[in-house]
Amino acid sequence: MIETLINEIRSSMAENRVDIPLLEPLLKPVLTAPLIGDLVAFLLWRPILAFLFLFTCMMLVSVFLVWWERKAAARIQWRVGPREVSRQIGGLIQPVADGLRYMFQEVIVHRDADKFYFIQIPILAFIPFLLPLLFVNAGNLVPIETPYGIPLMLALIGLLPVMIVAVGWASNNRFGFIGAIREAFMYFAYEVPFIISVIAMLVLYGTANPVEIVKEQGIWWGILRNPIAALVFLITAAMATSRLPFEIPEADQEIAFGPNVEYSGIMFGLVMMMAYEKAFILGCMMTILFLGGGTGPAIPMLGDLSGALWFLIKTLIVLMLLTAFCRAVYPRYRLDQALSAGWSSMLSLALIALLISVILGVVM
Amino acid sequence: MENKDEHMDFLDSGVLAPFKKWATKWSLWPVHFVTSCCGVELAHAFGCGYDGERIGALNFGIARQTNFIVVEGTITRKMARALRQVWEQMPDPKFVSVIGACGERGGIFWNGYNIIRPYDVVPVDFFVPGCPSTPEGILRGVRAVQDKLDGKDRTTIEFKNVGLPSEEGKENRVPTTPKIYSPTPAIKVDVRRDADWGTGKELVERLKGELNGLYKSITITGKNRIAIKTTTENVAEIASKMSNGVGIDHVKNVNVIDVPHERKMIVEYMASSYAVKEFMPVLITIFADIRRDECKFPSLTQYWENADYSEREMHEFFGVWFEGNSEMGRKFLLAPDTPEFPLRKDFKLKEEMYAFEEGKVVPSGISAKPATEISELPLPLPEGFLEDAENSDELVVLVGPHHPGSGHARWVVRLKGDIITEVLPDVGYVHRSMEKLAENRLYIQNIPLFERASITDFGNINLGYVRAIENALGIEVPERAKYIRTVIAEVSRISAFFYDSAIAAMMLGHSTGFMYAFALREMIVELVTRMTGARITASFIVPGGVRRDIPADVLETVGNLQSAVQKRWKKFEDIFINNPVTIARLKGTGVLTKEEAIKYGVVGPFLRASGVEYDVRKVEPYEAYDRLNWDVPISDDGDALSRFLVRVEEMKQSLSIIRQAVDALKNMKGGVLSEELLGDYKDASTDIRGYFYRVFGDIVIPKGEWTSITEAARGSLIYSLISDGESNVPYRVRIVTPSWLNLKGYMESLKGSRLADLQALFQTWGYFPPEADR
Repeated sequence: MIETLINEIRSSMAENRVDIPLLEPLLKPVLTAPLIGDLVAFLLWRPILAFLFLFTCMMLVSVFLVWWERKAAARIQWRVGPREVSRQIGGLIQPVADGLRYMFQEVIVHRDADKFYFIQIPILAFIPFLLPLLFVNAGNLVPIETPYGIPLMLALIGLLPVMIVAVGWASNNRFGFIGAIREAFMYFAYEVPFIISVIAMLVLYGTANPVEIVKEQGIWWGILRNPIAALVFLITAAMATSRLPFEIPEADQEIAFGPNVEYSGIMFGLVMMMAYEKAFILGCMMTILFLGGGTGPAIPMLGDLSGALWFLIKTLIVLMLLTAFCRAVYPRYRLDQALSAGWSSMLSLALIALLISVILGVVM
Repeated sequence: MENKDEHMDFLDSGVLAPFKKWATKWSLWPVHFVTSCCGVELAHAFGCGYDGERIGALNFGIARQTNFIVVEGTITRKMARALRQVWEQMPDPKFVSVIGACGERGGIFWNGYNIIRPYDVVPVDFFVPGCPSTPEGILRGVRAVQDKLDGKDRTTIEFKNVGLPSEEGKENRVPTTPKIYSPTPAIKVDVRRDADWGTGKELVERLKGELNGLYKSITITGKNRIAIKTTTENVAEIASKMSNGVGIDHVKNVNVIDVPHERKMIVEYMASSYAVKEFMPVLITIFADIRRDECKFPSLTQYWENADYSEREMHEFFGVWFEGNSEMGRKFLLAPDTPEFPLRKDFKLKEEMYAFEEGKVVPSGISAKPATEISELPLPLPEGFLEDAENSDELVVLVGPHHPGSGHARWVVRLKGDIITEVLPDVGYVHRSMEKLAENRLYIQNIPLFERASITDFGNINLGYVRAIENALGIEVPERAKYIRTVIAEVSRISAFFYDSAIAAMMLGHSTGFMYAFALREMIVELVTRMTGARITASFIVPGGVRRDIPADVLETVGNLQSAVQKRWKKFEDIFINNPVTIARLKGTGVLTKEEAIKYGVVGPFLRASGVEYDVRKVEPYEAYDRLNWDVPISDDGDALSRFLVRVEEMKQSLSIIRQAVDALKNMKGGVLSEELLGDYKDASTDIRGYFYRVFGDIVIPKGEWTSITEAARGSLIYSLISDGESNVPYRVRIVTPSWLNLKGYMESLKGSRLADLQALFQTWGYFPPEADR
C-alpha cells in the first residue's frame, strides 16, 4: 500500500522533473543513488523548483537592488557610490557588508513598544510576502497553476500594507504612528487604479491564469496592446512600494522613516527588505501582464530554465528602471497631492485603459 | 562609560570576529545628527566632491539604524543632552568621531559659558582637528575608525619638524596685545555726531513734533542713525505713536547694556520702517535706563510683534523682565544648567594667558561636568499647552533636535489631522555665547569669532563687523579693497544660496539636487581658496581693507565664475527647480503677504519675495555697490517657491556683480589697506602678513554706539558695537543675524500648512541654526 504510494509519488516527480540539458550528465548518477536521489528528485520537482527559483531570485534581486539603487543614483549624482569595499566589482558586496553589520548589531526593543507585535510582525510578515510567489509563472516554471492566479496575487498583495501599518502601530512612536496612517492613506490612493489596470489586462486576455496570459500575448506584449494600463500599473507600483516621488509613508526627512523608526539591527533589515520584496512581486506581475512573461529566444542548453532566465531578466530591468530613475529624478509629493493624484489622474487613466481593453478585447 | 573599549571587545570576541569586524568596517553609517557648523563641511564630505559613500559610510537618518556618530564641532549645554540621548539610542557596537577644534578643547569658543566637551558626554574613538575640519579630514576620521577595526593603531599623528625661515635681528613679539579694560567705563549710547546727512535734521524735527513731551532728547548719532532717549513710563506711548503715526513698522534689534558701576541697565529698541521710503535706511534707537536691581521694562510686542523673540533672548541674558511679554520667566535659548544671566558684567569668563605671563597655570575654559539627562531638558511649552491640544483632539509632535529634517533645533508642532495649527521653536542648540566672548577679545580677534556664526555666508558676516569698526574709526577704505570686498561678499552670498538650495532639495527628498548644488558650491569653495587661502572661513576682510591683494591670474579665474556656474546651474534647474513635483510642493505653500512679512520683521530675499522693495545694498549703499549695475529681484507671491526663485535671480545678479567688479579691478592700481590705519607700516598696504598685530592689535574705537547694517545672503545683518572709548575690547557687541530675524516669519508661515511642509519650508527660509543662535 505505502510502497505503491511512494512509487506513485516517485513517478510523478520523475514525470514532472525540470528539464535542464546542461545539468543532465551531472544529475544522472545522483538520481540513481538511494536516499539522495529522492531528495534531489524532490528539489527538481517542477513546483518546488519553481518556488525555490523565485524565492532565491527575490532574495538576490532585493540585495542587488539595494546596491543598484545606491550605485545608479550615485552615478547620476556625479559621484561613484559604494566602491572601496570591493574595488574590482564596484562595491557590489556593499549590501552584504551592511546586512552582516545589521546581523551583529544589538536589537533594541524600546520601553514603549508593544513588544509582542513589535518583534513578531517583521518575522511573520515574511509569509504574506512569499505567498504571491506561488502563482508566478517564470517561463515554464510555475509553482501552482490556477485560473485564479492573478486575482489571488492581487488579494495577497492587498495584505502587505496591513503588515506595514502593524509595524508602525507596534512601534508606538509618533512618527511610526503618522507613517502607519500615511501608509493606510497611500493604500487608498493607489489600490483602486492599480486593480482596474490589472482588470483591464484580464479583460483584454480573457483569462486570469498567468500561464494562459503569457501564451495569449505571444509577441504582442501587453505593453504594446494597452500602454496606458502599463503606465498606470507602473506608477501605482511606485506608489505601492513607496518609491520616490511617492515615498510618503517612509519619508526620512519628514517623519524619520515612519513605521521603521524604532527598528534596529536585523529587525530593521527585515523591515527594510519588505519594500524590496514587494517591489519584486510587483515586478513579476508587470512581466507577466505586460512583458510577455518568460517568452524569449530559447536557450536549448538550459531547457526549462531558459524561460525562467528571460523572466528574471525582464523583471530585473523593470525594477532597475523603477528604482534608479525615480529616486534620482523626483522629489517627494505631499500626502494630499498623492491622494488627489491617485483619485483623479490615475483613476481616470485606469478607466481609459479599461475602455481600451474592452474595445480591443471584447468588441473587436 | 566605564569601559571605553566595550564595542571593540565585542567585535573581537567569538568565532565570527573577522566577519563582525569586516562588516562593521565597511558599513560605518554616520547618523544624521548635525550639532554645529562643521556640518557644512560634513555635507561636502558626503556630497559629490568627496563622496563618503565610496568607503561605505552612508549618512543615514536616525540613530536606531546607524552605528557611527560624527560629532560636528561645538557641543552646547543644551545639545549635550541630545548628543547623549542619540548615542544611547544607537545599537551596540557604536563609534564616535569628533570633528572640529571646538570638539576637542572648545576651539575658538574655549571659554564660552555654554560650551562643553564632547568627550565628557560620549566616549570618543577619533578626533579630527580643524576649524572647520576639511572634508578630507572628516573622511580621514572615518578611515581612522576603519583602521582601528583592522587593529592598526593610528591614534597618534607623527608630526614632521619643518624649519620655518625667520629673519635674524627681527623682534619677536607675543602674538597678541594685552587687553585693556577700563575700570569705570563711560557708556553713552547717544553720542552726538556731525554727519553728512541732508534730511537728518528735518526727520529729527518731525519726530520731535510727533513725540512732543515724551522724549528726553533726540540725537543724531551718525548718518541714518537717530537715538531717542526716554523713560520707562513713556516708552510704550512712543512706540505706539511711532508704529501708528510715523510708520515705523518693525524692530530690528532689542539690546540691553549692563552698566554695573552706575547701577543701571540701558534697554534699547532699534526700529525701522519698510513702508515709509524716507525711513527705510534710518535706524531709530529708542532707549531708556532702568535700575539694575529691579530690571523691569514694558514689552513693546503689542506695537512691534517681531520684538518677541529678541525680548525673550534679552530676558535670558540679562534678566530684564519685559512686562507684557507672556513668555517671561521661561528658558528659550539657554539650557537649565547654563549660568544665570550670563551677559551681565558681573559674570566673568576665564581669560587667556600671554607668553610673558610665565608661571601661571593655563586654565581650561570648560570645567563643569555637563548634565546629560534628557529628562532635564524642559519643553518650551506654555502652561496648559499639552492639555489644550489633547482636549481639542490635536497631536503634538516634537521634531528635532535629532531628526533628519529639523536642523539644529527642535520644533514643537501642533497638528490637527495633517494641518499644522502652531509651531513653537525650541532654539539655542547652537548658542555659543558669541556676544559674551566678544567682550573679552580684542576688536580684531572677534573677526574669526563672528565668522563662525555663519560659515556658509562667511564674507558678509565678516564684512558687517568690519564696517562697524571702520565707521567708528572713520577710515576710508581704498578703492581697490572696496571692489575686492564686493567680490568676496557676493561670492559668499552665492555660496550660502547653494548651501540653502542643496538643503532645500534634500528636505524634499531630492538627493540629486543636493549633490548638484554641493558640486556647485565646491566650485565656489575652490575659488575662495584661491582668493583667500581658506576653504570657507577666510577672515579675509579686515578693518581698512582686505588682508592682501588678489593676484591677476586668480582674478581672471574669478571672472570666469559666471559662465562656469551658469552651465552647471542649468542642470540643477532642470532636475530640481523645473521639476513638476518641486513646483507642486512649493507653489502656494507658506504664504506670507506683504503686510504679514513687514509685521513679522522678515528680512532679505524673503522680504522681497513678499513684495517689499528693500535691499540694504540699494537703500544704504556700501562698498562698490552703488557704482555697479544690478537689479533687485522682487516677487509678489510670498510663497515658498517665490522665496526660492527670488534667491535664484539674486544669485544671477551676484554673478553679474562679480563680473563687473572683476573687470573694474583689472584696471585698478593701488593698495588694499587704508594707509591712514597702517601708520608707520606703509609696506603692508598690499599684504598685511608680518604686521598684523602691530597694525590691528591696539584698535580702540571712540565712545558711543556704532551700528552697521549689511545685506547678508539671508537678509539684514546688524552689528551694534558699544565702546567706552578707552578699552581695546568692545564693551558690548550685539549681533542680530538674518536667520534670527526670519525665525518669526518662518514660524508664522507654517500655520495652516501640512506637516510635510515643515521641511519643505525649512530651507526656503534659509534658516541656518548656527547663524540664528549665534
